Amino acid sequence: MIKIELETGGSVWQVLTKPGDRVEVGDTLFILEVMKMEVPYEAPLAGEVVAVHIAEGDAVEEGQLAVEVSD
Amino acid sequence: MAELEYDTQMNWKIETDEIARRRKLALKQGGADAIAKHHSKGRLTIRERIEKLLDPGSFEEVGPSAGAAHHAESGELIGFDPANFVLGFGKIEGRRIVIGGEDFTMKGGSPSLAGLRKSVYAEELAVQYKVPLVRLHEGSGGSVGGPSGKSPSLPGPVNAPARFRSVAEAMATVPVATAALGAVAGLPAGRLVASHFSVMSKATAQILTAGPAVVARAMGEKKTKEELGGWKVHTKNGTVDNGAEDEAECLSEIRRFLSFMPDNIEQLAPVIGCDDPVERADEALLDIVPRDRRRAFDMRRIIQSVFDQTSFFEMGAGYGRSQITGLARLNGQPVGVWANNCKFLAGSMTADGAHKARRFMELCETFSLPIISLVDEPGFMIGSQAEREATIRHGTSAVLTAAMTTVPWASVMIRRSFGVAQAAHYGPEGFVLAWPSAESGPLPVEGGVAVAFQREIAAAPDPEARRRELEEELAARQSPFPRAEALGVHDLIDPRQTRLELCRWVDRVQSLLPALLGPTRFTVRP
Repeated sequence: MIKIELETGGSVWQVLTKPGDRVEVGDTLFILEVMKMEVPYEAPLAGEVVAVHIAEGDAVEEGQLAVEVSD
Repeated sequence: MAELEYDTQMNWKIETDEIARRRKLALKQGGADAIAKHHSKGRLTIRERIEKLLDPGSFEEVGPSAGAAHHAESGELIGFDPANFVLGFGKIEGRRIVIGGEDFTMKGGSPSLAGLRKSVYAEELAVQYKVPLVRLHEGSGGSVGGPSGKSPSLPGPVNAPARFRSVAEAMATVPVATAALGAVAGLPAGRLVASHFSVMSKATAQILTAGPAVVARAMGEKKTKEELGGWKVHTKNGTVDNGAEDEAECLSEIRRFLSFMPDNIEQLAPVIGCDDPVERADEALLDIVPRDRRRAFDMRRIIQSVFDQTSFFEMGAGYGRSQITGLARLNGQPVGVWANNCKFLAGSMTADGAHKARRFMELCETFSLPIISLVDEPGFMIGSQAEREATIRHGTSAVLTAAMTTVPWASVMIRRSFGVAQAAHYGPEGFVLAWPSAESGPLPVEGGVAVAFQREIAAAPDPEARRRELEEELAARQSPFPRAEALGVHDLIDPRQTRLELCRWVDRVQSLLPALLGPTRFTVRP
């Protein structure tokens, strides 16, 4: 199980995955907007998305848990 | 019989025996129990650390006889406490260094009288012999009882040499690399950060200006050593450059760092053979920067592609994360690498990012390393937090440091190059290349439009739509070709040719490097 935490604060622009989805390494899970820059977060491993803790439009903070993927 | 007596009187066997005995006793360090306790916490002793770091059999100890001897009333030697700082010369990859570290198994590394003398001597030796200095720290500073644990002796005279002069001198003369391998507090913590590269073991180290007991007494704050000064604190605030999993990884990071360094400021960094072709063109660079200006890209991927394969050694990845700094090689030549990371706060110049960049430039200047800058700088970080952190002061410090460097610079405009902050990414008389994705100006289109067209936007029927329209209009005007036509850059290049162009440049600047050797106008300060 990998927990993907946010590197920076910002706002959630797009969430491209939901619990139950099968993902491959490098698939974009969600995109954060930080300082007018879209920052994609990619799956670090192949597996199943178990939980998504963010929603589009959320104002988020550094270190916040975003997505959990199980291998 | 008479002849035997004569021999005993004339030779020095009694003394040489005692020397051997003292040596043997010194190697016992704090004793079997103290060493076992140390091992049980997953930590190596200072002698084991030194042995692990150095080429086999290369350690030549300095001052092994320093310490305190204990005698029976008869005068017979019954014990010997060695100085609790082990010091000496040794070799890494055949190159000589000075190495030292506190012995935690004796008085928890808090300096004994002889230990203090040896520890102070480390920097002086490195400067005298002009070889790199490695310190492996685990210990605390002085105690109120004084160095020998007894009542304080006479204070030092006013005309004693400045205690930290040699520490500063070492930083200006030879590469200094340090590791925190256990709890490091007080003076040793100060010496840990007085280095060009520092690394801490996540498994075993804490770094503390003062430990939990002192903090509780003075501040009323109850924290563990780990909470006060564990890796989660200090790899993110820049106290140490790198965090490593354990002691072994700390030592290999130090070996790696030193592989890029000359022995001292009078020498050039060692160029090694390179089997990565200079013509290697990576197709991935053609589309690594998205045409959509708002999409981030992976700068570390570009670094890995452009420099000699697997040569990039990142320093300070955990703090000032909008900036990436490290060492790498181009066709075997060691270079400093500085790049923006647009995935972190858009790659903007934050206060801590600027501090990291300044130290990086100082390192390159001190040891005459050419600097390669991969630019994607949107400007100083803005907003109330950035103002509170004095971003403009730290950022300007980086800008002026760049302006004062004398080492050769090659800057590649990867994407954005804006504001005052961008000036930090270009050295005097630097070589400048631009990718087709390069954009530059006083400030990025987005911020600029909001200010310059404020009234027009406000008056529009749909202000938001008009703002976007203006932004797109202006962005479209940012063609890379006029810059090249005006010789505003040395060349506009196909990104796939970046490695070749930089390797050629590195070859050209070889003739400039010897003149840079010797003391620099400024050096590295922690």
